[in-house]
Amino acid sequence: MSNLTKILIVLLTISVIFLCGIVVTYVANADNYKQKYAQLNSERDSLEQEKESLSNQLKEKIQQKDDLEKALNSQLATLKTRADELQTKINNIERERAELLERVNGWASITKDFQATTEKQIQLLTTAQEDVKQLKAEQIKLNKELEQTSAALVEKTAVIEAAEAEKRRLIEEKADLQNQLLMKTGGKVAAAAAPVTQEKGYALPAQTSTAALDLKALISEVDIKNSLATISIGSADGVREGMKFHVTRGSEFVCDVLIVDVDTDKAVGVLELVQSATGGPKVGDSAVTNL
Amino acid sequence: MSPEAQIRSPKPAAMSNLYTALLAVAFGVVLATAAFVAVKCYFIYETLFKIP
Repeated sequence: MSNLTKILIVLLTISVIFLCGIVVTYVANADNYKQKYAQLNSERDSLEQEKESLSNQLKEKIQQKDDLEKALNSQLATLKTRADELQTKINNIERERAELLERVNGWASITKDFQATTEKQIQLLTTAQEDVKQLKAEQIKLNKELEQTSAALVEKTAVIEAAEAEKRRLIEEKADLQNQLLMKTGGKVAAAAAPVTQEKGYALPAQTSTAALDLKALISEVDIKNSLATISIGSADGVREGMKFHVTRGSEFVCDVLIVDVDTDKAVGVLELVQSATGGPKVGDSAVTNL
Repeated sequence: MSPEAQIRSPKPAAMSNLYTALLAVAFGVVLATAAFVAVKCYFIYETLFKIP
């Protein structure tokens, strides 16, 4: 074997090993195109299915949109009709409101006139009530004076009757003394005649029986102008006309109240012996029958 | 057989076993590479020569 043959054998072996290594490396690292094809094919199939499902969904949505559009159009037409009706009603209501406002304005002017008239009537009523109060106070004063005058008249009458009785008794005694004098001058002695008219005492003013009742009350109203006061108890508690209550504030005497009018739960009296230093009776002062 | 014939046709003897072994290794490498490529192609494409 020649050297050239030997060299060629060695070179052949080296080149075969090199090329085979390259081939093996390339084949080992080659991509699996079949698997990639199958994967891409499956992906394409799934995408096509998805596309079909999406198309179906799109068709359904379009159908739903059409149905909804039809329903909304019908509702819109109904609502337009209803809006027109409501607008008509609103117009009617506004017209009625304007008429009512006119009537209200008329009634307001009438009410104002009526209110002014009422205020005038109230003023007249207040004035009349004040006049009535004054007249009532004057009447009470006159009644009081009348009662005092009547009592004085009764007292004077009793005094006159007593004086007349005394006068008659004195006349009888005078006649008796004259008879006795005639008898003595005539030699006869007449028996002493007893007077027919008996002696009478003088009439005294009647006493009220308030001392027997121990009533306690409070001053509820005071009318200094008319010298009147109202106490918080009435006939239900035993208050009678003519009773006298003593008004005190603490330990200080204020005045007396002579009852002239009695209700069931209150009584009105005339002020007497008002102590000016105390400022007169006030609401809340105590009024008692016995101090 | 004559003695001349025996002289003319002596049995050829290998000059060196080293180069024969190199040739055998080269042949084996080529054969293993072809087998590897064939196996790989068969398992991947399930065929040897057809285009799937």
